[in-house]
Amino acid sequence: MSDRKQHAAGSVEPGDTSKRVGAEVIRERGCDPEELREKLVDAVGAEFTTYYYYTNLRMHLAGEEDYKEITEDARLEDRAHFELVVPRIYELEGSLPNDIRDFADRASCPDAEVPTPMDDDGCLDTSELEVEDILEVLLEAERCAIRTWSEICDMTRGADPRTYDMAQRILNEEMDHEAWFIELLSKERDGEINPAGHFARGEPGDAPYTKNTPFNDSA
Amino acid sequence: MADADADADVWDVTIEIPAEADIEGAGETHTIRVGSDEYILAAAREQGLWVPADCQQGWCIACAATIVEGDVDHSDAKRYYSEDAEADFALICTAKPRSDVTLEVGKYEELLRHRADTDRPPGRSKL
Repeated sequence: MSDRKQHAAGSVEPGDTSKRVGAEVIRERGCDPEELREKLVDAVGAEFTTYYYYTNLRMHLAGEEDYKEITEDARLEDRAHFELVVPRIYELEGSLPNDIRDFADRASCPDAEVPTPMDDDGCLDTSELEVEDILEVLLEAERCAIRTWSEICDMTRGADPRTYDMAQRILNEEMDHEAWFIELLSKERDGEINPAGHFARGEPGDAPYTKNTPFNDSA
Repeated sequence: MADADADADVWDVTIEIPAEADIEGAGETHTIRVGSDEYILAAAREQGLWVPADCQQGWCIACAATIVEGDVDHSDAKRYYSEDAEADFALICTAKPRSDVTLEVGKYEELLRHRADTDRPPGRSKL
């Protein structure tokens, strides 16, 4: 009987730094690590663009301090999602696009623009901008994120516990965000009470699921 | 049927899954009933046919299909171009039937290349 330990060797030769066992074990379990990492780039592209667009959406919730606070929580948590997953992309031998325009183009969710046209001076025409319109953009952005991270959970379940753990943490927070914006939009647009079931974060952008085990100190 | 009755119409949507597609049911053809106010993807999933998708807002192109026959309305899609229509591509997550339709799904790679060729996103950003 061999003295070799069961996991002491595999498809990567000892000392070979051109391959990663951390990727090969994912492939062995039926998930394509290259496809996954590209999907992660798309997903964090959406988190990053959302962080940007939510800044502008939050600004335009003028005079609605409670809405602004909730939007700020979602905005900062979306940035936390970006920070959490970026190192994983590099672990899987991927990288962020060098050109931020490419990054935005390939984001897996639509641009969450302020829902109003530009005026003749090239500025946002806010004359007919309604709070409920902004809340609807926020809600649909969260829903897209839920779909994206659910897809990544599906891809990684049973194959890549490291990425799955990140995706399910992010999904938890995106579902919080959807519940918040359903509550706010229901009240604002329809005059209906539709509780989220929870309250704003203790501190802005607490990210209770994605910041409690930061991937590195920059997260 | 007249366009004025569009909201009340229900159409036959035939979905062909190419044999080489990495989709459950590859090689099969399914016909589902889809209302004019329904998205084809949602109707398919409700009727037990799991077709790939991601954003479901007509943006990411994960749900790309080609139109073999028939008309669809893409007015709810966030990123659908005239070049896509000219090449008979559809984004079924936000496409509503306007006639009986036959679609071939699993066309993400093809649409991605088409977007790159026509200088539309996400084309070159992903190739």
